[in-house]
Amino acid sequence: MVETGIAKPVTESTAEDLRDPAYLKIRNMIYQISGIYQPDEKLYLLAARCARRMSEVNAKTPAQYLEHLTVRGDREAELRLLLNEITIGETYMFRSPPQLEALQKVILPEILKAKSAMGFKRLHLWSAGCSTGEEPYTLAMFLLEESEKMLAGWTFDILATDLNDNSLVAAKAGVYGEYALRSTTELLRRKYFRPYDDKRLQVADRLKSLIRFERVNLNDDSKMTFLKGMDLIFCCNVLIYFDLSSKRKVMQHFYSNLLPGGYLFLGHAESLYQVDDRFHLVHFPGAIGYWKPPVGYTGGGKP
Amino acid sequence: MNRHSLDEIRPRIQALEAMPAVPAIVLPLTAMLQLPSDQVDVDKIVELVSYDGTIAAQCLRMANSPLFGRRNTETVRSAVLALGLERIEAILLGCCLNRIVPPDKWAFDAVTFWRHSLGCALVSSKMARLIGYPDPEKAYLAGLLHDLGILVNTLACTEDFRACIQAARDGHVALHRSEEEHLGFTHCQSGKILADRWHFSGDVVEVIEFHHDVVAAPVGGPLVSLVHLSDLLCRLRDLGYGYYEAMGVDLAGDAAWATLVEHYPALAKMDLARLTMDIDGAMEEIVAIVDAVFKP
Repeated sequence: MVETGIAKPVTESTAEDLRDPAYLKIRNMIYQISGIYQPDEKLYLLAARCARRMSEVNAKTPAQYLEHLTVRGDREAELRLLLNEITIGETYMFRSPPQLEALQKVILPEILKAKSAMGFKRLHLWSAGCSTGEEPYTLAMFLLEESEKMLAGWTFDILATDLNDNSLVAAKAGVYGEYALRSTTELLRRKYFRPYDDKRLQVADRLKSLIRFERVNLNDDSKMTFLKGMDLIFCCNVLIYFDLSSKRKVMQHFYSNLLPGGYLFLGHAESLYQVDDRFHLVHFPGAIGYWKPPVGYTGGGKP
Repeated sequence: MNRHSLDEIRPRIQALEAMPAVPAIVLPLTAMLQLPSDQVDVDKIVELVSYDGTIAAQCLRMANSPLFGRRNTETVRSAVLALGLERIEAILLGCCLNRIVPPDKWAFDAVTFWRHSLGCALVSSKMARLIGYPDPEKAYLAGLLHDLGILVNTLACTEDFRACIQAARDGHVALHRSEEEHLGFTHCQSGKILADRWHFSGDVVEVIEFHHDVVAAPVGGPLVSLVHLSDLLCRLRDLGYGYYEAMGVDLAGDAAWATLVEHYPALAKMDLARLTMDIDGAMEEIVAIVDAVFKP
């Protein structure tokens, strides 16, 4: 997940620097490579992220930093470091209770019924843009809690991907402080975590074993094409930085990554309006999902 | 239990001694509510508000609340102007109808019921304006009154209705489904009987009777579909009956949606996710109005 809040510029001169055409070039380059787009009103965010990298590499001006990204021998490594800065995010577990409630009371019963009818007993979930792991671990806890109930006899796994290497390292370590755990009940903490140090907890191995962490660029067509057979995809606050044509492309991928009857969830303030007209917008109490209807669905509402 | 026909349940509803006569100001009020807002006579509204001391006091209290940024509103007239006609209408109609149910008879609490009704009124008129439906005032009124039958059921069969709501709550099912199963009729049917007796206009009666089954509506105009969708949206955004209804609704795949798109092609282009976020944004005002009027 990507931070949606407003980052404070790290240097005094950032506001003036925003007029520097080098930022537009950096912005356009990042867009071409990752599909992450910063509109003009959000350039200050990009400038703040660049400023951190600029002080690391001793670039005095945005134009100098652009050189680091384009002509130097280590440009690809630098670009990746900048992307890490841009997609850095913070989130917490059990961030969207209405979404989990919809999963438990509406969506899973519906999917389980359809899959059992075809003789399948396996679920695949994908947290696309998993940041430091809060979302996939939340899903893992949710699934394990259901494993004695409606998921009895089922197997399930979670693919958790992010573009950011640092986030993935943190996600794999699974060490969390009070902020990340603020909505996690005492019962679940005892069940799925062990003490790490006096302030933090670490996720138990049985959560980790459900999740496969992987670095995936959502704009990488060849990679995206292979991620098939998903029942549920979660992609919260990732696409907000993408511009329209990148969003459309990612949506096309997600649509084919999903099995018929599967759902895509975005962040609660994101809209697919005019981005994709194949997904059906489905309302659940307090949550919205995007549904890939089964073959032959002709409307008439949902079950 | 099988679903009873309207003729079978009519005696059961009408025989009720508790079934109230239409409150005195409801008819002139509903007549006025259907006028375009520029034709509404403010003096007439002020007169209706002043007619009842409690209602007048509630309007003053609302007008003086921080939500409307007003202080020292002392006359009913200035309160009416401060609150605007739609809010005054909601307060008036809500108060009158609320009074026909004795406080100890409510099956779910009055605040929950009126939040849903007012929410549905606001969403109906908002959606009406968005798609170009020519009579947003009518949509507002129909939204406000669509669940009249819940008041009837509360009065007509208090205990059975309470059990029916509890069953809906436990099973996370829609109220009208639980009514079919436990009462043998729904608030749509019982609401129609009272609305007829009270001589509500035909299209509002049709909304009351068919808002859960738009395909069965004989006229089937856009108004029923509009209120049906608003009702669903409200129940999906925490303005429902106060319990979790397990549902996933593909609004654009709903029969009501198709009916509306036929009449108003603008609907096909509506940003539904954004409308949903708008409803969430309007929650604060809805809750404030209802709480100011109905919280004991």
